[in-house]
Order: sequence, then structure tokens, then C-alpha cells
Amino acid sequence: MTTLTHIIPSLVASVTGSLVQDGHADAAGEVGHAAEQVSHAVSQGITPPVDGPLWIALIPLLPILGVVLTTLCAIFKVKSKLPAFLTVGCLAASFGLTVAMYQHLSGMGPGSTVVVTAFEWFDLSWGAGEGQRFQADFAFYVDTLTCLWMLFVTGLGTLIALYASEYMAQDVGKGYSRFFMAFNLFVFSMACLVMGENLLVLFLGWEGVGLCSYLLIGYFYKKPAAVEAAKKAFIVNRIGDLGLLLGIFLTFVKFGTVSYPELWPLVEPYIQMVKSGHAGDVPLTVSLIPILLMVGAFGKSAQLPLYVWLPDAMEGPTPVSALIHAATMVTAGVYLIARMYPMFLVSEYALPIVGWIGALTALLAATIGMAQFDIKRIMAYSTVSQLGYMFCGLAVLSSTGAAFHVFTHAFFKATLFLCCGAVMHGFAGQLDLRKLSGVAFMKGWGIVGIAMLVGCLNLAGFPFTAGFFSKDMILAESFVTAGPGYGAIGWILLITAGLTAYYTFRVFFRVFVGPKAFEPGDELHEDHGDDGHGDESRPEAGATKFHPHAPGLAVNLVLGILALASIVAAGAYFVDKEDHGWVGRLVHESSANYTGSAAFLEHGDGAHRLEAGATGDGEAGAVEHGEAGAAGHGAAAAHGSFLGMDPHKAMYYVSSVVGLIGIGAAFYLHYLGRTTAARSKADDLLPALGPIPRWAQHKWYVDEFYNAVIVVPLRVLAHVFHAIDRLLVDGVVNLAGVLPRFVGSRIRPWQNGVMHGYAVGMVGGLALLIAAVVLLSM
Amino acid sequence: MIERIGYLWPEIVLFIGACLTMVIGLSPNADMRKQTGLIAGVSLLIAAALGLATPAAPTWAILPGIMPFAKPLIALVGLLLLLVNIGSVDRDEEAAIAAGKPFNPLRVTGAEFYAFFLFSLMGAMLCATAGDLIWLFLALELTSLPTYVMVVLSGRGKKGFDRSQEAGVKYFFLGALGAGIFLYGFALLYGGTGTTQFVEIAQHFAAHGMNPIATVGLVLALVGVSFKIAAVPMHFYTADVYQGSSGGVAAFLAFVPKTAGMISILLLVSTVGWAAGQGSLPPAIESLLWALAVLTMTVGNVLALLQSSLKRMLAYSSIAHSGYMLVGVIAGPGDGSFVSSGIAAVLFYLLCYGVMSTGVFAVLASLERKSGGEAVEVESLDDIKGLCRSHPWLGWSMVICMLSLLGFPPILGFFGKVPLFTSALGAGHVVLVVILALNSAIAAFYYLRVVAGVMIDPESDSGVRDTGVPARVIAAVISGVLVLGLSVFGNVFMGSGEKAAEVRRFVGQSDEHDTDSVPLDEHSEAAEDEHHAVSH
Amino acid sequence: MLGMSDMMHMASATLAQAGYPEAMSTPALAHYLFLSAVLFVIGIVGFVTRRNLIIMFLCTELMFQAAGLALIAFSRFHLHHTGQTFVIFVLTIAAAEAALALALVVLLFRKKDSLSGEEWREMQG
Repeated sequence: MTTLTHIIPSLVASVTGSLVQDGHADAAGEVGHAAEQVSHAVSQGITPPVDGPLWIALIPLLPILGVVLTTLCAIFKVKSKLPAFLTVGCLAASFGLTVAMYQHLSGMGPGSTVVVTAFEWFDLSWGAGEGQRFQADFAFYVDTLTCLWMLFVTGLGTLIALYASEYMAQDVGKGYSRFFMAFNLFVFSMACLVMGENLLVLFLGWEGVGLCSYLLIGYFYKKPAAVEAAKKAFIVNRIGDLGLLLGIFLTFVKFGTVSYPELWPLVEPYIQMVKSGHAGDVPLTVSLIPILLMVGAFGKSAQLPLYVWLPDAMEGPTPVSALIHAATMVTAGVYLIARMYPMFLVSEYALPIVGWIGALTALLAATIGMAQFDIKRIMAYSTVSQLGYMFCGLAVLSSTGAAFHVFTHAFFKATLFLCCGAVMHGFAGQLDLRKLSGVAFMKGWGIVGIAMLVGCLNLAGFPFTAGFFSKDMILAESFVTAGPGYGAIGWILLITAGLTAYYTFRVFFRVFVGPKAFEPGDELHEDHGDDGHGDESRPEAGATKFHPHAPGLAVNLVLGILALASIVAAGAYFVDKEDHGWVGRLVHESSANYTGSAAFLEHGDGAHRLEAGATGDGEAGAVEHGEAGAAGHGAAAAHGSFLGMDPHKAMYYVSSVVGLIGIGAAFYLHYLGRTTAARSKADDLLPALGPIPRWAQHKWYVDEFYNAVIVVPLRVLAHVFHAIDRLLVDGVVNLAGVLPRFVGSRIRPWQNGVMHGYAVGMVGGLALLIAAVVLLSM
Repeated sequence: MIERIGYLWPEIVLFIGACLTMVIGLSPNADMRKQTGLIAGVSLLIAAALGLATPAAPTWAILPGIMPFAKPLIALVGLLLLLVNIGSVDRDEEAAIAAGKPFNPLRVTGAEFYAFFLFSLMGAMLCATAGDLIWLFLALELTSLPTYVMVVLSGRGKKGFDRSQEAGVKYFFLGALGAGIFLYGFALLYGGTGTTQFVEIAQHFAAHGMNPIATVGLVLALVGVSFKIAAVPMHFYTADVYQGSSGGVAAFLAFVPKTAGMISILLLVSTVGWAAGQGSLPPAIESLLWALAVLTMTVGNVLALLQSSLKRMLAYSSIAHSGYMLVGVIAGPGDGSFVSSGIAAVLFYLLCYGVMSTGVFAVLASLERKSGGEAVEVESLDDIKGLCRSHPWLGWSMVICMLSLLGFPPILGFFGKVPLFTSALGAGHVVLVVILALNSAIAAFYYLRVVAGVMIDPESDSGVRDTGVPARVIAAVISGVLVLGLSVFGNVFMGSGEKAAEVRRFVGQSDEHDTDSVPLDEHSEAAEDEHHAVSH
Repeated sequence: MLGMSDMMHMASATLAQAGYPEAMSTPALAHYLFLSAVLFVIGIVGFVTRRNLIIMFLCTELMFQAAGLALIAFSRFHLHHTGQTFVIFVLTIAAAEAALALALVVLLFRKKDSLSGEEWREMQG
């Protein structure tokens, strides 16, 4: 924490220093690191798995128990909050076991992996030869990456279930059990996805979370928008799933297995091939695998061009948005790439594509987020944007940064969503930031306001928040890793960081501070009404009589815990320093370790070691770095640099400045410049920007574009096919239906019910058969 | 011979159970009489457990692994069938006795029904134990004779009894004709080879090839036994008999004789086919089975299309399923792995078919409606329309089992059918596979009609109600659950099916003494010893 | 019956060594088999043409006995007892079937006052 003391002087130094040393930056990136520095084989980094204790299988099983119990609640029409408490109980127990699993794994020493086989699932062979056998057990693969994901999946799941117990209270006895059933099923599926020992279990979980997402987005199934959104999410995800599925098929075809521990050694030769500069020797079919897997990841994690479903998914109940569409499910794509990281190193193109898609998504979503008025949608776009960051992190060989960002993002984004949910809940579904103001100062809304502030600071990357550290890790790496246009990616991400800070605090300044004013939701939101299936009776409508109801104990408790967790998450950066934080250690000991990095992406490995020192020793580290750089130490610029400085260090300053500028802009335009709840100085600026704000508000017309380019042509094609189907195919099918009927009606008279007729048939048939056999034998 | 007792414990238990039910069933005490079903159930459970423990690979068996698979299968599906059949006989008589009618041992037939039930299952198990023609003949007759009585006994009410009698007479007389045919076939097979032991018959064929007498004998035997599996041209009785029997007995007929017949066909075909050293069947026998398979599935399906009575439809569908299984017989053992072994496919399909057809019949047996003052079983599709709404448990069981019968992926029947396809493809029978696929498509028409009727159509107004025997509903639900469960966990049984389908091959063309059994050498020697023991 | 004579020679050779009496000759076997086949066909034709249930049953008995005759002839031909053992069991089963058949026929006669098999044709299609 000594860095605190010199942040301001160093900031100045870095800006001035950069002008001098600018020329070095490019050169530094080009010089390759000595091969021996990074020549850990992937397979060396991970010890072969050992069989683990069976209780680990209880982690996914407890949510299934929850599914059964809540289903029973639904069958017996329980009219209390029992399903919620059963869910919280099951998930909390699952979380406890996850902690125990982490302890168990830690006790086994670094790099350990554990495999727990629940039962044999598939075992097919179609010959004795090699590769003529398909085996996939229902087994769980536990390494540190698994633990990381499971800790926040079950932990957040428990908290959000608790929150939902109050949030969904209006639905008690109606959709309550159904909600929690799907909730439990989601956690089970997510556990399968994360803990699966092979790609098939992962796929099961992948589809399971997709299904639960569909069910929960469409929870208010009487509301057309919710149904539309659910369908959209489902269909868009299918496109991604196709990619994933093809990737899994191809993996099996090329490697003969889908099990991770068996896969890593088989992938290794190809990585070596790429490393030694013979990337062209890798068969196309192998280098195609990561591209296909990537398509799956883009679908699930809402990246270009498949991100369009996520903002619409906000039609679901807010706890669902928080858990599934912000914290956990959407990070499945990141998990997939992190888990299959060795596979992504066999293709020259896979990681750069991931990086560019991520960066463009981050920027695009941020610009859209700036122009929206629905606070939940703003959060949705910010999720898309932050996911873009995570993908960039993976692409620039900073799987640590990506995983750390997933981790911190899970907490602060859940906090933000739950705050928005509390507002929505309290103000009858009002989500328009022009119609709410000063919420934090209203009676009973203090905790919500504070939690929101914590979340916003994190998202904006305010210095020394968890979000700040995790974002910086990605930013820094994107400047030091040499790859196609990676420098540009860094700049895009930096700009996006500023935009993020702006739109985040735009929400905060407009909704949570400022003059107290509000309009309740004019259309009473369904989760406030009647589960969406009853008549909307508008119980407490009428703006004059409306009293916002402040959140109750469960909501405040959960928000408090989450806000605290968001702050504390930053602490993870300061333990296990030699591995860039706790998350870094977890990542390094798993398959997401990048030490098998490929030659095509030259990575400033030295920077890491130095940066670790810098974090610990503060100023001294910076000095050391400078000296080391001067002394050459193996390769003078074994690491890249940014603006002539150690990139991580520089990034602290630069991104702090960028973040503060964004916050400052928001402060100036939306706090100081506020005239009424609905208007602020920002509105005066709009004409100056021409049509851009309007385009951004209309999400750059992407939906309209997809509609025109994909949906409409498909619809036309569908009509054409329908016509062909009617005329041609139905004709054939009808014929196929008529022919057997005709034959049947011809031979039916034989079944005349007379025993003698039957005997004649039997004996005649026998005679014919004998005659035929005798003829054939002759 | 005495050491064979060790393989017979399941049958012995069933025999004891059958004797017990017969004695206890004549007790004047109604509570005692009620215990007969329980006794039957317990003996089936014990038999299943003992069957699982049956040692494999005896020297005298042509399919050494079949017993540990077939016996538990028969006992466990038998348990399900027992649930369907509880209270199907004697219900009115017992009610009358409870209401004060004096007890007359001559009028009470429930216990006899259970005894026959157990005897027939025992016969089916004995088919799996059979090592020679005499044994097989006795086992087949033991399977069939009780079913004739069961069919006649199963009718309820005046109209029902009329029908069950008609079913009984057709079944018995045509069955006797079929028995005469396969018995004559057995006699010729014995004459042509000089032995009744399957192992020796196989060795004879391996050493000397086929001869005309044995060929004709085999054809007669196969065609005669196809009466049990209701294959064309011996299928004529099927629809009438199923329609005339109660739902439970029809379920019994669809599984037990079919299993006994299928196992017998596997044993008979093994002697001449792969066991005799060739990879495949002799062309004449293969053509015979080919014709039987194609005719059976096609006739079954096209006639099922036209039925309005559900029981008749299911009867024809049962014919079609026998045709599917014959495809597996033609495919042969392949290289022994599950996907290439037609024998394993047939055995696994028997399991699938047993569960799903029992489920469908159990649903029918669970429902009745008033007609002319007495309760009759539901018969037409109209009766069970909207069942998912009026009786959700039964309705959904029906849907699941029907989809499974159709082979709808990813439900059990689909996994049953896939190995049939793969094994036949592996053996190079592409045309047969195409015909099998076409037939599956035709079958979709009538299965989906039922599924749609049960799921979508409005409830029927014909006053259909539950029969009030919970065991039948339980059987239906268990079947539905089993179909779903086995869809997921069926791989366990695939493994044991693969083991059960292990075949023995006797190579060597010159002399009987050179014959050699591939799995275990001492087998053929032991068989030789037995041979001498019989001849002297 | 080409394979038959080979078998014949082989069997005679083995059995002569063992001190067995001479086996049945091939022509003699053919006679027995012919008779057996005739009986079998008479049984089948009778079953198909006659309407009386008792006669139909007797025709199936005829088929059984045709098989029995063939078994005994083969038994003698092969100089085994196996075939004769088989016949004992066949007779037993035939007796059991007879018991069943007669009970059934009585039941049916009571119902329809007729022994014709064609009376039972309610179910068809």
C-alpha cells in the first residue's frame, strides 16, 4: 500500500517521462524474450489429477436437491417463503462445501488437480482401434480455476437467493417456487459447466444455464416483451452453441477425447510447434478448434456480434439479471477460454480475434450505455463492455487479469444490479434516470445509496478499488503484449475506461444524489403486480399517493455484504504477490496458465516479476525497474513498456486520470449542471454532437441492421421453403402415408377372425418359406 | 447333469413360489388368499437376485453369457407384469365373497392365475438355460401352456369373458399348430446332426457343413418358434388374442413368450451361424430370416396403421418390434462390441421393449369405462383422449412409453434401436437397415396419433375412470420412470448385454475331434465327454 | 441326402468297434421318414380343412406323433437313446396339451352349443 504515497508525483513523472522515452516503446515490444524463460510446458505446470473425495460431487448435487424440494413446493402449492429458504439453505451448504473443496485443494500443494467421478456416463466403442471409443464420465475436474469460479458462483448464488426471497415476495404462492426451482437449476448447471471434467459435462452445463436463463428471462411470461427477450436470448445463444458444439466434435475427432486431463498432453506438441515458429505446420482442423470454441464463448458472454440478447434479457426479474446476466453465466465464455487456454495457443489467429472482438465490444457497448436512460439497461451494456475487457485480458496473455476482473466484476456488478433492483422494486418499476433523483437521501435508502456508490466506484475504476486493479492488469498487458494491433486495443480499452466512468456516475449522480424527486413507474411493473399473469389492478398507482417502499432487511443485508465484498475483493490483489494476487495464483496453478505462451504473441514476462516487486516495495520497485531496464537483464526489454514506464505502474496513473476525468465529467454535467430531475447540462451539449447521441441511444441501429440483414431475408426464405414444403415434401409425405395404408388395407382381409383362415396363412407361409429355402440351397 | 442345478436356482424359486400360491390360494380365509400376489412378487424378486448371480460360461451353453442377463430381465419385467395383473382375475368373485357369498374353492381362480404366471416366466427362463433341443422344447411348452389358460381366465364381465374365450381358442389351437411345426423341426435337426446338444450340433456343422435334413429341420424350427415372437407368417393370432385378453395378460403375451421365442431363435441360429465357424449365417438361413424380418415389420406396421382399437394396434406394433429384433439376429455377433453385436442389440431391445410395452398396457389396464351396465376395459383411442389432463400420471406414462416405442430420441426405445441399426450396418445389410428405417417412419404415424390424442385433444366424455387397483397405476408410472431412467443409465445394461451376447465359435472342418471352442478349450472336451456319456 | 450316407458310414465304423449291433440302413430310415412326413402333412391338412375343434386338436396330436416317429427312427439310425428320450417328453407334453384342449373344448361347447371353430370370429381386422 506504499504506492498510495507517491501516486501523484509519479503520475506527473510518468506523463513527462513518456514524452522522452516514447521511442523505446515499440522497440521493447519487438524484442523476444529468451525461450527458456517461458518454456514451461503447459503439461508441466499442471500435475496429473488424482481422485478426489466423493463429497465434492455434493456441490452440484445440493442445488439439484433444491430443484426437487422447490418442485415439491410447487406441487403442494406452498404459500410461504419456504422455497426461498430451502434454496438459500441448499446453496449456502454448497458454498460451504466449495470452501472446503478449496481448502482440500490448497492442502495438496500448488498445481494439484482433483478428479471426482460421479458415474460413468458415455462409453461407446465401435471397434477395437485407437480413437474408436468415446468415453465421457460424469466427472468433476477441480483445480484452482474451478475453485475460483465456484466460490463466487455459489457464494453470490446464496446471497442473491436471499435477496430474491424479499424481492419476489409478491409472487409467493404463484411463481415463487417456479422462480427458485429455475434458480437452483441454474446453479446446478453452472456447477456442471465449471466443474465438468470434460467438454461434454461442460456442454451439459452450458445448455443448462442457457435453458435456465431462458426460463428466468421469460419468468413474467404474460408480458410479451419478456417472452420476446427470452426467445431472443435463446436463439442468439444457439448460434454460439453451434460453434461450441462443432468445436467439441472437432476436438474429439482430432484428439480422440474430450476429457481435460487427457487433452492437455495431446495439445502440447502443437503448442511447441507454434512456439518454435512453425505455426503453419499445425493442421487447419486443429487450429480451427479454438475459433469454434470462441464462437460459443461470444454467444454466451454477449460479445460482438452476438451481444444483442443481453440488454433485452433485463426483462427478467432483477436478481436474475444480477446473478445470471451479470455475475456468473455471462462469464462462462471467459471460463471456457481460460479452461481451454492451451487450445487457444495452437492458433495464431484465435487470441487476436478474441482481443479485437473484446475491445470493439467494450467500446461499442460503452457508447450505447452512455446514451441510455433505463438504468438497468445501462448496467446491462456495462456488463457487455466489461466482458469485452475480460476477453481482451485473455487475448493479451493476461488470463490472470481476465479472471481477476471476472472475480471483482461479479461482486460489484451484482451490487449495482441489486441496487437498481431495489430502486425498481421501491418505485413501482421506475427505471428511467430522468424520473428519479436523490434516492440515496430518502428515508431507508441509505444502504442502497452507499452500496451503489461502492459499485460505481469499482466499475468506474476509481483508484484503489478492486475494479481499478483488475482493469489495470488487463490494460497494462494489452500495451506490453505484442500482437496484431495490440497497442490499438490498449488505447481502445483506455478510452472505454473513461466512457465507463462517465456513464456509471451519470447514473449515480442523477438517480442517487441531487434533489429528491421521483415519478413512480407509470406502468406498474409486473413483478410488483400480479406475477404478470393476473389483471393489472394497479394497486398503488397514482403518483400523488405513491410512497416508495424502502428495501427491507434481506435486501439491505445482501447489499451490505456485497458492497463490503466489492471493497474487500481488492485485497485479493495484495496477497500472493509473486503471482499477481490471489486470483493470479489460482490461475497460474490451473490450465489457464499462459506459460506455454506461443511465439506469435511476445509477452513481457519480465514485467510481471518486476511489477510484483513494484507492488510490494512501492517506490523502490519503480526505481529497480528503471535500473533493470537499463542494465539489460537478459533482454533489455524482456517486457514491453507503456509510455516508457513499467506498464502496470504507468497504468495506475493513466487509468486513474482517465477514470477521474470520466467521473469529473459526469459530476460536472449531471450533478453541478442539474436543473431538474429530468434535465441537466448534458442535454444542452447534445445538439453539438449532431446525430451521434441519437444513434447511440438507438444502440447504433444494430438490432435494426440484424433485422434487415438476417431476419427479413430468413423470413422470406422461410416462406419460399414453406411453399416448397407444402407442394413437394408434403406430397411425398402424404404418399408415404397413403402407401402403407393402401398395403395395409389390401392385407387386412387376411385377418378375418376365422381360425382356419389363420391356419391356412401360417401353413401356406411355411410352405412358401421352405420352398424358397430349398430353391436357394440348390 | 446334476451340476446344472447350479444354474437353475431362479427357476427353482419360481417353482416353489408357484406351488405355494396354488396351495395358499385355496385357503377359505380371504386374507390368506390375498397373500398370493405377495408371494409371487417375493419369489420373483429372489429369482431376479439369484439370476444375477448365475455363473456364466457353462460348458454346455451355446451362448454362455446369456443367463445372467436374461433371467433377471425376465424376473424384473415379470415383477412389473405382476403389478399390472394384480386383481385382474377373481376381482368380482372376491368382492362377492366379501359381500357374503359362500367360499367355493372351484370358483376361485386367482391363485391359479399367479401360479400359471410364475410357471410361464419359469419357462422363459428355462429357455435361456437350454443346452439341448429337448430342454428347449419343454421350456417353450412350459412358457406357452400356462398363457393359454391365462388368456381364458383374464376376461372380466360377460362380454369380456366371451372375448377371452375366443382369444383362448384361437391362441391355443394355432399355438398347438406352431408347436407341432417346431417340434418336427427339432426332430429333423436331431436326425440331421445326430445329437440334441446345441454345442454338438454346432460342432457337427463346423465339421461337416449343413445337410438337407438339418436345413429343413432348422427352417421348420425357426418358423415354428416365430409363433412365440409373433413373426409373419405365424402372426395371425396376435391381434385377436391381445384384444380378447385383459390389458395385463396382453402385456404378458407381448413380453414373455416373445422373450422365450427370441432367446430360442438366438440359440438355434447360433448353432448354425457364428458358432459353426462362419462369420455369418448360411445363405439359405440368412435369406429366410431376412424375409421373416422384412415381412414381419412391414406387415405389423401397415396393419397397425389401420387399427382403431388400441390393443389391436399394440398387437401389430408388437409384431413390428419382433421384426426389428430379427434384424439384430441377422446381423450376428459382429466383433463382440456392443455396437456391432446384433445379439447384444436383441437382448438390450428385449429389455427396452419389455419396459415400454408393459407401460403402455399398464395404462390401458388401469382404465375402464361403463358399457351396458358393466365395467369394460378401455379400447379405442377416443377413450383415452386428453388423458394427460384427466389422469396426468397415466397420461404422461403413456406419452413417454409411446414415444419410446416409436424410437423417439433421446428416449429408451431410440437407444434400443440404434444398436440394431449399427450392428446391421456393420454386417453389411444396408437394404435391411433402409427397410428398418422406413418402417420406423411408418410407425410414427400411429404412435404419434396416440401421443397427440393423449396430450393435446380435449378430454373424452366416455366416462373413463380409474379401475381402482393402485398397483396398475404404479406399474404404469414405474414403467414411465424406468423408460426415462434407462434412457440415461441404460449404458449399464448395454455393458451386461454385451457380455451376455458372447458367442462360442467352433472352428475346424475335418473332424469332430479337432473342433475347438475359441473362448475356452476345455469346453469342447467336456462336451465330448457328455456326448459319450449320452451315447453309452 | 448326400451328407447322410457319409454320416452313416462314419457312425457304423465307430459303433462296430464299440460292439454295437448294426445300425438302421439309409433306405429303411427313408421309409420311416416318409411315413412320418405323411403323418405330419395329414395333420396339417386336417387342421386346416376340418371345422370340429376336437378333430383339429387330434390333427395337432398327429403332427406331434409324426415328430415322435421321426425321432425314434433317427434314434435307431444314430444308435442313440437321445431320440427316444425326446419322445417320452413329447408324449408327456402331448398329454398336457390334451388335458388343456379338452377342458377348453368343454367350456366352448357350453357357450355356443357347437364344436365348430368358425363360431369364434367376433374379433377381426
